[in-house]
Amino acid sequence: MQTASRSLRALALCAVGLLGAGRSGNGHVSWLAVASADQDWRKEFDEVCAKTQDAMALGVDELKSLVARCDQLRPQLEKLDASSRKVFTKRLQACRDLYQFVLESREKP
Amino acid sequence: MKRLAILLLLALALPSAARAEASGKKRRPLPYEYGTVLIKNHSEAAGLAPVVFEHWLHRAKYTCRLCHVDIGFAMKAGATDIKAADNMRGFYCGACHRKPPTGGRAVFEACAQPSPHEQRPACLRCHSSGKNVKPEIEFSSFTRALPRGRFGNGVDWEKAELEHLISPADYLEGVSIRRKPIAAQKDFSLEAKLVGMPNILFSHAKHTVWNGCELCHPEIFVGVKKGTTKYSMVEIFDGKYCGACHAAVAFPLLDCQRCHTTPVQ
Repeated sequence: MQTASRSLRALALCAVGLLGAGRSGNGHVSWLAVASADQDWRKEFDEVCAKTQDAMALGVDELKSLVARCDQLRPQLEKLDASSRKVFTKRLQACRDLYQFVLESREKP
Repeated sequence: MKRLAILLLLALALPSAARAEASGKKRRPLPYEYGTVLIKNHSEAAGLAPVVFEHWLHRAKYTCRLCHVDIGFAMKAGATDIKAADNMRGFYCGACHRKPPTGGRAVFEACAQPSPHEQRPACLRCHSSGKNVKPEIEFSSFTRALPRGRFGNGVDWEKAELEHLISPADYLEGVSIRRKPIAAQKDFSLEAKLVGMPNILFSHAKHTVWNGCELCHPEIFVGVKKGTTKYSMVEIFDGKYCGACHAAVAFPLLDCQRCHTTPVQ
């Protein structure tokens, strides 16, 4: 029992160490650090913007929901570092604008 | 007598040269120059030459959508405001030009070492404006086997893609989102405003291969219904609408018959 508990503690320490060593000397950020910090907003971003290719086939309700999700996500992107913020707010805006554009075309025949 | 002839020649030639200069008439770019973008937001302040970005090489390997939507490059030169720090963090040029190289393709690293006042050979790969830098890939040898085009790069890129001579990648691991293949939208014809000019047959299929949806809508074309966006050739030549691409990188507007294809009934 004690051995198992020690092993668990060692594993937890390794994980913390790896995450802490996220930034390497040359300025690149390791994938592990990025993955842990990115998980929530990136997952939502990928899900929301995954439907641009078939936006024309989406229903009004789904389009409205996607636009709302884009608007909810934006404040989270504003908190990112300068480079990530610049890239992802532009990308989010492009997919939001497309959904809004298709939505308006449906509502104003 | 000879001196008089030279003076006469100069007197005739100089005003016409001045007129050409005053009219702002641009020299038509050579095939390897067409589509080239000079990026100089921060280069000179950092003691480096502006970046010479060659569209011909990148468009042969990647779709317009991948770079202008997924990676986030703006459609207007200078509008992206790329910084070395962005590249070093794996954005913009650094999305592909990084170690390990993306997709296993051997590419050099962008802005790998901060060198503000030293023109290191690695920096000169991109910061090459006004420098005598020998390119790794020569335009003439790269395009030799590709179908000929009349203007622009002298390459019919659309045909090259159709014949699988080039296969532009549309997905970048870690950057792009896995999406369903695009649903084909209908082609449509646009009536030419000039009497006798053949109408335009706009192919959605041809355009979506390269652009997806959100590259054009709504930023370039605001109307989803045919006829919503009113535009003229003057605006197009000014870089608006079709001119956003066809006045800069895609086959140029001089190639009238590429768009005005439908005989008037």
